[in-house]
Amino acid sequence: MGHAVLVVDDDASVLNTVRRILEMHDIAVETVESGDGCIQKLKEGFKGVVLVDVVMPGMDGWDTIQAAVDGELTQHVIFIMLTGKEVPDAKMDYLKEYVLDYIIKPFDAKKLASVVKEYLTYLK
Amino acid sequence: MPKTLKENPNIVIIGSSAGGPRILKSLFTGMPFLNGCVLVVQHMPKFVNESLCGMLDGCTDMTVRLAEDGDKLERGHVYLAPSEIHLELEKNRAIRLLQGEKVNFVCPSVDVAMKSVKKTPGALLIGIVLTGMGKDGAEGIQYLKEIDGITMAQDKNTSVIFSMPREAAQTGAVDFICTPNEIREKLVELLGVMTPVNI
Repeated sequence: MGHAVLVVDDDASVLNTVRRILEMHDIAVETVESGDGCIQKLKEGFKGVVLVDVVMPGMDGWDTIQAAVDGELTQHVIFIMLTGKEVPDAKMDYLKEYVLDYIIKPFDAKKLASVVKEYLTYLK
Repeated sequence: MPKTLKENPNIVIIGSSAGGPRILKSLFTGMPFLNGCVLVVQHMPKFVNESLCGMLDGCTDMTVRLAEDGDKLERGHVYLAPSEIHLELEKNRAIRLLQGEKVNFVCPSVDVAMKSVKKTPGALLIGIVLTGMGKDGAEGIQYLKEIDGITMAQDKNTSVIFSMPREAAQTGAVDFICTPNEIREKLVELLGVMTPVNI
């Protein structure tokens, strides 16, 4: 299975927009609307770049990454935050070894695709 | 077999965290063969180590390699700290990888690497803190300044997350706040450029 991108966001419009942008650059995209959905995908063996929103109902983005760390589901997964929060909250301090990048919404489409493509090369 | 350096080498220690890989790429792209040894501590998962190393190696005339315990420092080389183990310098000549508790919630820690540098006559000691969350590197920068080092932090506009550079700057021990391009230019200006035959 090749490496893909998993987008985790409770906002369906963000999921659709990111999917459209990345698929235009021939990047395979999967989407889920919650942290629980993300953990389920990782348990099923997803490998690739995970774009995670921070503010979500239930598990927020940080709790989701912590759950992935606790469940030893982070091998071959690069986490990038995709969030409207310009300044990260303190929870990130505990997880910075697992979060390689931080992209703020609204984002430039070309830049998003370029950053994601770059990190996908790290997984080859 | 690495040559033993006759003189104390110039040493640069760079610390970075979230957003670091793309900032490091920008910093090292076009970096000539510096008259010094560069150590990079990037917070990252272990499986990314080799990929980041290979990416940086393709950007610069310098040789980029993953640091190993006992490595003797060579001019024109960049040593990337591997994940899950602290990196220290032994008498500014060799690399030591040491198991230990996380510092600032990370291992390796920028502070640990920077605070292992010894004041040495005739050598430039340079500390740089790039983008990232938290305060790792702030104590290290302060220490390097105390031993007459030269210190830099990335500017706010080009930082993906300004937390680490800000914490370093707030110590009052940062000499220059720069963009990655300006940091590269400053390193060339301070250290000078060599060709491998000059070694």
